[in-house]
Amino acid sequence: MILAVDIGGTFTDIVLLDTTTQQIAVEKVLTTYPDPAVAVLDGIRALIANAGVAPEAIAYVVHGTTLITNTLIERKGAPTALLTTAGFRDALEIGNEGRYDMYDLALVKPAPLVERRLRFDVPERVTADGSVRQALDTAALQDLCGQLYDEGINAVAICFLHAFTNPAHEIEAREVVQKLLPDVAISVSHQVAPGMREYPRTSTTVANAYVQPITERYMARVEDGLRASGVEAPLNIMLSSGGTTTVEAASAFPIRLVESGPSGGALAGVYWGAQVGHSDVLAFDMGGTTAKAVLTKHGDLTITNQSEVAHVHRFKRGSGLPLMVPMIELIEIGAGGGSIAHLNNLGLPTVGPQSAGSTPGPAAYSRGGTEPTVTDADLLIGYLNPDYFADGTIKLDVDAARTAYESLAESLNLAVDRMARGVHELVNENMAAAARVHAAERGLEIRRYSMVATGGAGPVHACGVAEKLGLKRVIVPPLAGVGSAFGFMTAPISFDFTRSYVSKLDALNLDEINAILDDLEREGRGIVEAAGVPPGDVQVQLSIDMRYVGQGYEVRVPFTKQTLTPAHITQMQAAFEAEYKQFYGQLANGVPIEAVNWRIVIASPKPEIGRLALVADESQPDAAYTSRPVIFTADDEATDTPVYRRDALSAAWQADGPLIIEEAASTTVVLPGWAARVDASGCLVLTQKEHKS
Amino acid sequence: MKTVAIDPITLEVIWNRLISVVNEQAAALIHSSFTTVVREAGDLSAGVFDRSGNMIAQSVTGTPGHINTMANCVKNYVVPNHPIDSLQAGDTLITNDPWEASGHLFDLTIVSPVYYKGRGVAWFASTCHAVDIGGLTMGGDAAELYEEGLAIPLMKLFSAGEPNAVLFELIRANVRVPDQVIGDIYAQQVGNNVGAKKLIELLDEYDLPDIEAVAQMILDRTETAVRSAVRDVPDGTYTSEVMIDGFDAPVKIACAVTVVGDELKVDYAGTSPQVDRGINVVMNYTHAYTTYTLMATLAPGIPNNEGAFRPVHVTAPEGSILNCTRPAPVSARHLIGHFVSQPILAALSQVVPQQVIANGSAGLWNTMLNGKLADGTPFAYVYFSAGGMGAGPNRDGLSATAFPSGIMGVPVEAIETAAPVLMHRRVLRQDSGGAGEFRGGLGQEMALEILTGQPANHSCMYDRTTYPAEGLNEGQSGAVGEVVLSDGTHPHPKSHYLLQPGQHVVLKLPGGGGFNSPLRRDPQRVAEDVRQGYVSLERAEADYGVIIDPNTMQVDAVATQARRREMTT
Repeated sequence: MILAVDIGGTFTDIVLLDTTTQQIAVEKVLTTYPDPAVAVLDGIRALIANAGVAPEAIAYVVHGTTLITNTLIERKGAPTALLTTAGFRDALEIGNEGRYDMYDLALVKPAPLVERRLRFDVPERVTADGSVRQALDTAALQDLCGQLYDEGINAVAICFLHAFTNPAHEIEAREVVQKLLPDVAISVSHQVAPGMREYPRTSTTVANAYVQPITERYMARVEDGLRASGVEAPLNIMLSSGGTTTVEAASAFPIRLVESGPSGGALAGVYWGAQVGHSDVLAFDMGGTTAKAVLTKHGDLTITNQSEVAHVHRFKRGSGLPLMVPMIELIEIGAGGGSIAHLNNLGLPTVGPQSAGSTPGPAAYSRGGTEPTVTDADLLIGYLNPDYFADGTIKLDVDAARTAYESLAESLNLAVDRMARGVHELVNENMAAAARVHAAERGLEIRRYSMVATGGAGPVHACGVAEKLGLKRVIVPPLAGVGSAFGFMTAPISFDFTRSYVSKLDALNLDEINAILDDLEREGRGIVEAAGVPPGDVQVQLSIDMRYVGQGYEVRVPFTKQTLTPAHITQMQAAFEAEYKQFYGQLANGVPIEAVNWRIVIASPKPEIGRLALVADESQPDAAYTSRPVIFTADDEATDTPVYRRDALSAAWQADGPLIIEEAASTTVVLPGWAARVDASGCLVLTQKEHKS
Repeated sequence: MKTVAIDPITLEVIWNRLISVVNEQAAALIHSSFTTVVREAGDLSAGVFDRSGNMIAQSVTGTPGHINTMANCVKNYVVPNHPIDSLQAGDTLITNDPWEASGHLFDLTIVSPVYYKGRGVAWFASTCHAVDIGGLTMGGDAAELYEEGLAIPLMKLFSAGEPNAVLFELIRANVRVPDQVIGDIYAQQVGNNVGAKKLIELLDEYDLPDIEAVAQMILDRTETAVRSAVRDVPDGTYTSEVMIDGFDAPVKIACAVTVVGDELKVDYAGTSPQVDRGINVVMNYTHAYTTYTLMATLAPGIPNNEGAFRPVHVTAPEGSILNCTRPAPVSARHLIGHFVSQPILAALSQVVPQQVIANGSAGLWNTMLNGKLADGTPFAYVYFSAGGMGAGPNRDGLSATAFPSGIMGVPVEAIETAAPVLMHRRVLRQDSGGAGEFRGGLGQEMALEILTGQPANHSCMYDRTTYPAEGLNEGQSGAVGEVVLSDGTHPHPKSHYLLQPGQHVVLKLPGGGGFNSPLRRDPQRVAEDVRQGYVSLERAEADYGVIIDPNTMQVDAVATQARRREMTT
């Protein structure tokens, strides 16, 4: 019995999987503020009672939360101080000296989490090669601690220059602070974000310290609550890198939890892709205000060490606080069902990022919204059923949607239907463009990918986005409403470390690097084994970020973790060249290669979640229950299109598009030229039959 | 050939796709680049052009000096000399001609035509700052262009996919770090190829013969939008001038912005003549920073393409420092060029004060170091830093932020890893932001030492050490910059000298100007600035008339009121 809990902004989703019967039970409750632990515990109790499960039968609990992200966005973290190498306390404020929007003279940068007067110089200096130029002045540091105490500081971030190369001073400073201020949470940069570039490293370390006290308290409450409910299983916390870890490790590195929800969604995408037989997956989730996408290659999430949180402008890259921790690579754009269509200052139609959200919502909701939204457009072109939306709880008003689109259409001298179809296409293009550029930045060939579409609006737009990206297959999984929580269940217990150690391959000091890798492995094993993974089951993966000397972006090359010998260096070079060639087409022959970052992932085997008991038996009727006119084509002619109910489709069902499949959580639109079938896993699988010329 | 009807929706979809295509081009370029100048500083531009060389879309990366000069270079130089029908698939052109491209030899503009179904349909171009181009390295010391390095007239870099081996050899023989320079040239070519491939996919998908019709509509719409923004500015001529340090003598930049209906004219008559130092600006670069400043002020939401340039006319007297003639030296042209933004903002403040910002440090501070490592191997390294930006009509200026340039700074750890230097501090400069109801952004201060055990050449490219960034509407000036060695001497801020081992050089970057009288600043905000160390107690009183109790750090309201009354009279 596995229990998964996902706290989102609006809902807290709880999923219980019986690993013997493969039956799933689901509970959705409103997230509670200010203490989200209340909803978690109430929901678990309700679910356990409804499913008739004994709490002690639960063997494993996994939990993901947006608490950390919200704390950073709302700036409600602990009073935090920053200790830096003397002369560099402003690194956090000077940032990258750039402007993220070149044409905005009123540009606002994110304010540092630690104000200037709480950023303190500590005399010490390590140079670029790791040697100590000036010893740590512990007396000065001790004096500072008195000041921190007087200021009522609860968290301290320590970030010294080049500490990722030689952490001795950070370790020493931590000991001093710990001794004098035993109740203060301390984050040190070489542990939180061991990579080059003082601004993102400091930013990450500070953010970690800032959320640490609140995370610790919250984790303790959830654990206590679980015990009080009779659940004895260990609590595991979902990380933004797609693994889970212990409460202890999560409390030490809470900044690694920032995108845990989307990484659960992506893991669910991987699971469903694998069930249908595909390992390269584009997980596409489109809700009310945003659309998110994640690319997973060979079943692995793509992990980045460069991301941002708490943006000044949600969809402007560079406007957030930089983070340098392993995090799923997420594409997010302001295009959801509630996104509003309007004319930009060039007189051209644009969608979002302004959104009508769920209140007042799209015009068709008749809740006071009058602006034309994506959902209104989807309704007008027949993709949505006015009488069956959100499980029939919301009656959509076609006339209201039409009225909302009239003035926009008129101003462009277009028919309302053409306008609506155009807005639908624009949204698809925006999402496709974001995915396309993302793939280009990573050198991925996106056409090979299968899309797994979730969220209320995801399956409505899936085929359209897929066509624009050249994808041939779309998978619409079951359990769409609790995708992230379900995904958590498939996450291995894992922890990873990235250590910067720059060296030309031909000059690699094997003794040193072997010692570093063994250290990382030992540290990781400690964390993973503490979560109850038997030592014999622990898997160790190594990947090396390599580049040609002089380049600044690396190519990540997987390599077997072993004691490295001179013979391995040739293999490392060959592995790099193979990856590089795939990215860039040609090698820079003759230029030496260097290794930059060494990443060790310590993980349990992936939990074996087999096929779920979801598919209806074949005795059910498969016929369309109705039909309606739908506009698919550029000439805006409506096609009478059969409409099915998903819960009435059996495992053997298949049919050619155009057709529409409705279910409580969403509507799947199968475009002309596509075929749909129900897979044995319970997924709808849509396949493009012929390549459009 | 069939014609395709393009309605506003299709236009928007295809336009967005074109922007995505140039972003993919830039991503490929940056990813395969070999230099921090391109990758970390983002000193590049990438764009797509129609058959006749009109720039249709640019990538989100880039800096105005590159984007807009690249646009003019392709339209007025590349296409007239090599019409697309005279080239073939796999051809690529290259130039670094300062007058025709982006103003100094370091910037390589690489342009590739795209063919679809046997016919030329578009161009992709990018401009990147090469880390070295031979000659005297970057700086203002040359007396003529010939001393500044290798000039590459417009010529083929690739013919039908075959590299121009002679040219590659020539470049390799003329630059100090050939692997990096050649590597980046290939990266630019990779970017252009990716762009071409993605454009052809777009044409396939939308069944278009080319992008001519779409381009026309994009340019017309952009032009209309810019004209409408210009129409909102009252007719008239608005003038302003700024003084800047120059090399040997101060330089005046005078500008008159004339608005007539929906047309805008910027004329730099009265500007100082060109000089025998490498700080002269070619017309193309003057034009680029002029249009950029106008767009950011008057039409910030409108895309930057050829259509946006049509209602704007820029002139400068031939032979002036903003329209220099061959063979004037131009290596450090940004030292003057970045400043054209300043009088334009000041002039426009007379008529649209809510849309402008006060003057700021404007010129990037470029630090170039070269010499020999302890083992004798040569090194060369350059990095850019930013002072403070001017305040706006309702907000403080940004500290240590580049404007008008779009580049980014380089982390200390990256500098120390790439070059044999030690940075002793890098902090915000207290009291460097011009006082005002809205304070100018602070400059930064850094102290450097060379670690090779032998002298290294430090080439300075620093301005506003004599003439500060002026405030607007009674706002005060920002602090001037300063270069000072540990022995108290001041190197020439635009020349080079030998930095000795053990010696520290301190760079104090200028601050931005304030907006409105400092006596209007909320005393609580002044006190907060003092608590945070942005403003000293003394300046709080002297500039803002705010008296703060040094023990409680709270405002003495009565004393402040009295002091401010005194200062007003």
